[in-house]
Amino acid sequence: MITDKVFLEIFNNRIQAAVEEMANVVLRTGFTAFVKETGDFGTYLLSPAGETFGSPLDTGYNLSLGIPAATAINAIKDWQEGDIVICNDPYSTGGMVTHLPDLHLIKPYFHEGRIIAFGLCFVHSSDVGGKVPGSVSPTAYDIHMEGIRIAPVKLYEAGRLNGQVLRLLLDNSRIPEQNQGDLNALMAALNRGEVRLKELIRRYGAEQVEQGIENLLEYAELKARTIIEEIPDGSYDFWDYLEKGPGGYPIRLRCRMTISGSDIHLDFTGTDPQVRASFNIPTHNQQGHYMLVPALIRYFRTFDPTIPWNSGMVRMVSNYAPPASLLNPQVNAAVGARAATFIRVMDVITGALSQAQVNKVPAAGAGQACIVMMAMTDPADGKSKVGVIQPICGGSGARPMKDGIDGMDFAVGHLRNIPAETVEAEMPILIEQYGLRKDSAGAGRFRGGSGIDLRVRILSPDTVMTARNMERMEFQPWGRVGGGVGEHGEAILNEGRAGERSLGRIDELLLQPGDTVTFLSQGGGGYGDPYEREPKLVLEDVLKGLLSAGQAREGYGVEIAGNTVDEAATSLLRSGTAGSREAFSFGEARETFEALWADEMQLAVINALSQYPLALRDYLKRQTMAEVEKLTRTGEAVTPQAVPEVMEQLRRAIGLR
Amino acid sequence: MDSKYRLGIDIGGTFTDAIVTDNQGRVVTTLKTPSVADAPEQAIFNALEQLQERGVDTKQIDLFVHGTTLGVNTLIERSGAVTGLLVTRGFRDVLEIRRLRLENTTNLYGDKTPPLVPRQLVKEINERQLADGTVLTPLDPQELLAAVEDLVQLGVTALAVSFLHSYANDSHEAQAEQLIRERYPQLFICRSSAIWPQQREFERTLATVMNAYVGEQMGSYFKRLQAGIGQYGVSATLLSTMSNGGMMTAARAAAEPVRTLLSGPASGVIGATYIAGQAGISQVVTFDMGGTSVDVALIDKEPAYSTENQVGDYPVIIPAVDVTAIGAGGGSIAWVDSVGVLKVGPRSAGARPGPACYNRGGEHATTTDAYLHLGILQADRFLGGQMRLYPELAEQALTRLGSQLRLSATQTAQAILDVATANMYAQFSPLMARKGVDPRDFTLLAYGGAGPMHAFLMAREVGIRKVLIPPSPGTLCAMGCMVANLRNDFVFTFHKSSGHLQDGELLSQYSLLEQQGRRWIEEEASGGVELGGTYVIYSADMRYEGQAFDLEVTLSEAEINSPDQAKHKFHQQYESVFGISQPDAEVMFVNLRASIVGLLPSKPAVGLVQATGSSKPAELRSIRFDGLDHQAKVLSREQLSSERRISGPVILEEYDTTVFIPPGFAIYRDAGGNIIGEAEL
Repeated sequence: MITDKVFLEIFNNRIQAAVEEMANVVLRTGFTAFVKETGDFGTYLLSPAGETFGSPLDTGYNLSLGIPAATAINAIKDWQEGDIVICNDPYSTGGMVTHLPDLHLIKPYFHEGRIIAFGLCFVHSSDVGGKVPGSVSPTAYDIHMEGIRIAPVKLYEAGRLNGQVLRLLLDNSRIPEQNQGDLNALMAALNRGEVRLKELIRRYGAEQVEQGIENLLEYAELKARTIIEEIPDGSYDFWDYLEKGPGGYPIRLRCRMTISGSDIHLDFTGTDPQVRASFNIPTHNQQGHYMLVPALIRYFRTFDPTIPWNSGMVRMVSNYAPPASLLNPQVNAAVGARAATFIRVMDVITGALSQAQVNKVPAAGAGQACIVMMAMTDPADGKSKVGVIQPICGGSGARPMKDGIDGMDFAVGHLRNIPAETVEAEMPILIEQYGLRKDSAGAGRFRGGSGIDLRVRILSPDTVMTARNMERMEFQPWGRVGGGVGEHGEAILNEGRAGERSLGRIDELLLQPGDTVTFLSQGGGGYGDPYEREPKLVLEDVLKGLLSAGQAREGYGVEIAGNTVDEAATSLLRSGTAGSREAFSFGEARETFEALWADEMQLAVINALSQYPLALRDYLKRQTMAEVEKLTRTGEAVTPQAVPEVMEQLRRAIGLR
Repeated sequence: MDSKYRLGIDIGGTFTDAIVTDNQGRVVTTLKTPSVADAPEQAIFNALEQLQERGVDTKQIDLFVHGTTLGVNTLIERSGAVTGLLVTRGFRDVLEIRRLRLENTTNLYGDKTPPLVPRQLVKEINERQLADGTVLTPLDPQELLAAVEDLVQLGVTALAVSFLHSYANDSHEAQAEQLIRERYPQLFICRSSAIWPQQREFERTLATVMNAYVGEQMGSYFKRLQAGIGQYGVSATLLSTMSNGGMMTAARAAAEPVRTLLSGPASGVIGATYIAGQAGISQVVTFDMGGTSVDVALIDKEPAYSTENQVGDYPVIIPAVDVTAIGAGGGSIAWVDSVGVLKVGPRSAGARPGPACYNRGGEHATTTDAYLHLGILQADRFLGGQMRLYPELAEQALTRLGSQLRLSATQTAQAILDVATANMYAQFSPLMARKGVDPRDFTLLAYGGAGPMHAFLMAREVGIRKVLIPPSPGTLCAMGCMVANLRNDFVFTFHKSSGHLQDGELLSQYSLLEQQGRRWIEEEASGGVELGGTYVIYSADMRYEGQAFDLEVTLSEAEINSPDQAKHKFHQQYESVFGISQPDAEVMFVNLRASIVGLLPSKPAVGLVQATGSSKPAELRSIRFDGLDHQAKVLSREQLSSERRISGPVILEEYDTTVFIPPGFAIYRDAGGNIIGEAEL
C-alpha cells in the first residue's frame, strides 16, 4: 500500500540519483573498453529480498530489470557490515549471472545491525580466461571452456580483503591489471551507493526508507499492471529462430504468452533443447528473468515513460522454460554467446505481444549485433594487432504509425560505432563503404529501417577476420499486417571482382592484401500494405537512393518517372494486385523450412528427444531432422506421430546399449 | 566629460539584457528589454535607444560585445539554409548513421533527429586520402563541379565539404573549396579541415554542416546589426561571444557561426567565473535556472571545458564551456500520474501560456505558482513590478491539483518545490560523480530569472553550505560579455605513440598550432580590439596504447618541449583518476590542442554596481514554508551589510529576480556587492 505519494516521488528521484551516480563512478574510473565504449556494466540497489529497486537508465547497460539476486544473496549465510561478495558463475547464482565475463560484486548496506538494502554492480570483463581471448566463443560446448567460475564468495570480509580470492581470479585472466582496475571501480560505486543510502536513512529514518523501497517497487508494478490491463486476455503463440544449430538446422525459440487481467505468463515449452554451443541462457526459470523480459519493459516504457525503472515492473510476469532447453540449460552448459539468443527472445515476445495488442508493436528489426574484429600484423611497424572494425546492426522494424529507424535497432540500440578514420589510423585496413543498404528495408505502408552496407579492404597479409553473432542470414526480419520482410544479412568476399563469393556466416576468415569483405545487414520488417504507402514517400526514398525504381514498382506498385511519380501508371499498378493482408510475413527461407517443419513436426521432435538422455539429444536431433528430410525427399511423408519411431531407430543404430 | 563606454548585450529567449561600463570599468547602467524573436537586432536598437535616454552617449562606445541565440535557434527550429554536403565516396550516410547509438532505447516509437542535410543533397566524390594524409585517389575537379551543379539545381545555397582524413591533409578540401568559390561565388561554403580538423568523420562533418546550415542567417543578421548600430553613432568593432567563453569579431562569427552555438550559457559561466574570482572563491557550481531547466557548470578557478557538448540532439566536438541542463525550471508543470504520484516536468508552460499566475491561459500549476502561493514571490513586484501576477489563479490551479493528492493548495505548493528539488538532485548528483567532484566543497553561484529563488533549496538538498548571488543576477550573461577575452581553440590529430616520436616532433607540431593561434589573434586584434597581452594554453588527449579512451592533459611549455615530461604528467593524471598507472607503458598522443587567449586590458569592478531603487524600511511577510508559518524579512540588497548576518527566512526583492533564503541559512553582503549565504548548522 503506497502511503505518501509526494514522498514517493522524492524517494524515487533520490534512488534514481544514487544508482546513476554509482554508474557514473564506474564510467569515470572503470578501466576496460567494455566500460568506456559499450557501457557494458551495471549498478543496482536491491531490497533485502533481492529485488532491484534502483537501476540506472542513462549510464551503462540499462535493460537488467528482473535480476534474480536472491539465490546469490542466500548463498552467503553470515552477511556482515563491510562484506563484499564476488561471483560470476551462472549456475551457483541461480541465473543472476548469465555468462562468466560479467564479474558481479554485492555489498550489504546495514543500519543498526540490520540489512536495509544491497548494492550490486557488474562489469563485462574483457577476459576471465577460457579457450579464447575475451572468453566468449560460440563454439565453446561447456562452461569450463569459458573461463574461471566463481560461486558467491567474500572478496572482503567485514572490510578486510581476502587476497587469496583476488589472486585466484587475477591469475586466471589474460588481463589481470585491467580486471583489478574495473573491480576497484565497482567497489567505489558500491561504497558511493552506501553513502547515499545512509544519507537517506539519516534524513528520513530507516523505517521510512524501508517503506519507500517497498512502495517504489509497488509503484512500478501498479503502473505496469495498468498497461497490461489494456491488453486483451488470451494466449498468443509465436516462434522465431537462431540459425545454424545442431546439424546446421535452425534453433527454435517458442513462446506462448498468456495475458490474464494484469498478469503475463511466458511459457517457452516447445523451445529447442540446449545446444552444444554457447548460445544457452541460464534463466533457472527465475521469475521475470532479465534475459526474457526486455521486450515487455520496452513496451511498458513506451506507453508510460515515467514508470520507475525497477523490477516492480516485472512482478506480474511469470515464466517457464523446460529443463535442459535453450532457455533453461542444465549445469555446465556453455553460455558465453547468449547475446544472440537474448536478441531473438525479444523478437519472440514482440511477435506474441504484437498479436495480443494490434497496431501497437513494431515489426521485427534486424535482430543481430555482429561484432566484426580483425587480427593481423601491421606491415608498418611489425606489431600484431587485434581490434574491432565495427559493430553491425541493421534497421529497426517499422512501427504501426511510422517507418523504422535506418541502420539502428532497438535490441542493440546502446551500441556505438567507431569512426572509420580511427579504425584506419589504428589498423591496416581501408573502409571503402560505410552506409545504408539500398533496397533492404521491408516494404509496407510504413517501411522498415534500412540495413547497413560496410565494405572493408585488407591491406595486410594473413589477416584473420572474425564476426561473432551473425544472425538472420537466411530467415528474414518479419513484416506485419501486410508489410514485407526485410532483407536478410549477407557477407561477400571480393564483391564485384574476380573471385567474388558469398561467405554466409563468418566464423573465422583468412584474408590477403587486396581482398574485400562486404557486410550487408538486415533491413527491418515493414508494417501494413505497401500499396497503401503514399506514393510521394516512395518517391522520396527513390530520390534519397534508398529504394530502386524497380523495387518501387514491384514492392509498392509505384511507377517512378524521372523525379516524379507517374500517377496514371501507379494507379494502374495498384489496381491490379490487392495488397497482402497477412498477419505476418516471414519470407521464403522460413516458409520453405516450415513447409516441412511445421509447428507440430518440430514439437514432435523435441517431445521425442525428451525421452533420451541429455548427452544424446543434440546428436539425435540433427540425425532425426536429416532423416526426416531424406525420407520426405524420397516421397515418404513423415507425420508428427511417426517422428518418435524415426528417432528410436537412429538411437538403436548407434549400436550401444 | 569625455568618457568611453563598453557595451555588453546578451540576447535571450525572453529578454535582451544590456550592461554598460565606463573606461574605469565601473558599471554605468544595466537594462532589460523584451527580445524580438524574428528580428533579434531590433531589441539591440531598442536597448541603444533606452541607453541614450539614460544619458549614455552611444557614440562613445568603443567596445561592443554581444551574444546571440540566433544560431542555436536556427538549428533547433531547423530554419537554416538548404544545405548540401560533399563527402568521400562510400560515406554518403555519415549524417544518417551518426554513431549508431539510439538516444532512448526504451521508446519503441522514438526517432533519431533527421539529418540537417537530407540524403539527396549529399554527394559522394571520387577522392580518397589515408590516415597519414597520403593521397590514394586524387580529386577530379570536373566530377566535383558537376556534383555541385546538381546540388545548386536542387536549390542548395550553402555547402559543406568534408572528406575523409582531411584533418591529416587538407589539400583536397582546400582545392575543392577554391574551385567551388570560383564557379559559385554566391554559395556559403565551408570545409571541415578549416572548421575543426579533428579525426572522427561524423562529428567533424556535423560541425561543418551546422556551420553551413546557420551561416547565411548569421551573416545577414550581422549585416543588419552593423548597419543599424551605425545610426546610433556606434563605430566600435562588433564582437560576438563564443561557445568557449571567449569572443571574436562579428565578421569572423558570420563565417564560423558554429563556434557561437553554445555562447549563451557560456557567457553566464564566464560572468560567474569573474564574479567568483573577485570574491576570492575558487570552486563554484553555477546554477542558472530558467523556465524549463537549470544550467549547471563547474568552475575551479577557470570554467571546465568539454568536447562532448550537445546542441539539441547534435554532438559538438569543438571545445565549449561545459554546461549541462538538468531538472526542472520555473515553468515546469506539476501533474499527478495514474497511480496518484506527484510529478513536476518535464513539460514546461514556457513563457506562453506560462504559469497559471501569469493569466495568459495557463491552467496548470507550475513551480512559479507554488512560489507565489507560499508568499515567496510577491504578485505586484515580479520583474520590478513590470508584470502582474495573479495569486488567485495560482491558488485555483494548486487546489485542482491538490484535490487529486488530497492535499491543500498550500501543501501542494510545498510538495511541488520538494519534488522539483528532488528532480534537480536526481540529475545533479550523477553529473557531479561523472565529473569526479564532491559538490559540498563548492559554492553555489546562482543567477538567471529563477536561479536565486531556488538556489538555497538546491544547496540544502545536495549539502552545499555556501551560496553566492551576484549583483543584478538576471543580467549576468551580459556581464559575461563584458569580461570575456578573445579566445580560440586549435586542434591537430597527431595519433602517434611516444615510442615513435622523433626528436623535437611534438614541439614542432605545437609550434604550428601556436602559429595558427597567433595569426588568428593578430587578425582579430587588427579589427580594432586593443589587447592587454596574450597567452597560449597547451593540452593533449592522451591514452595508453591499445586503450579506447583518452584523458585530456594540460601541458606546460616545458612539457610540450619534452615528451618524457608530458608522459610523466599523463601518468600522474591517470593515477589520480584511476588509482593506478603504468609508468613503463608507451603513451599515445591522440589530439594536440592549443588555445590562444588575448586579454582585454581592464574589466569592470563589480563592487561599484549600483542597483536601481532606493532602500526601504524592513518589512515582514507571512509565508508558509516546509509546512510551517514564518514571518520572512523582506529586504533589498542595500539593506544588507558585511557586518551583520541575517538569518532566514529572508526574501530579497531585486529588480530582476527574487532571492529566497530559507531557515538554516544566514546572509550578508560582501565588498563586491554579492549576497553570500552560509549554512548555519
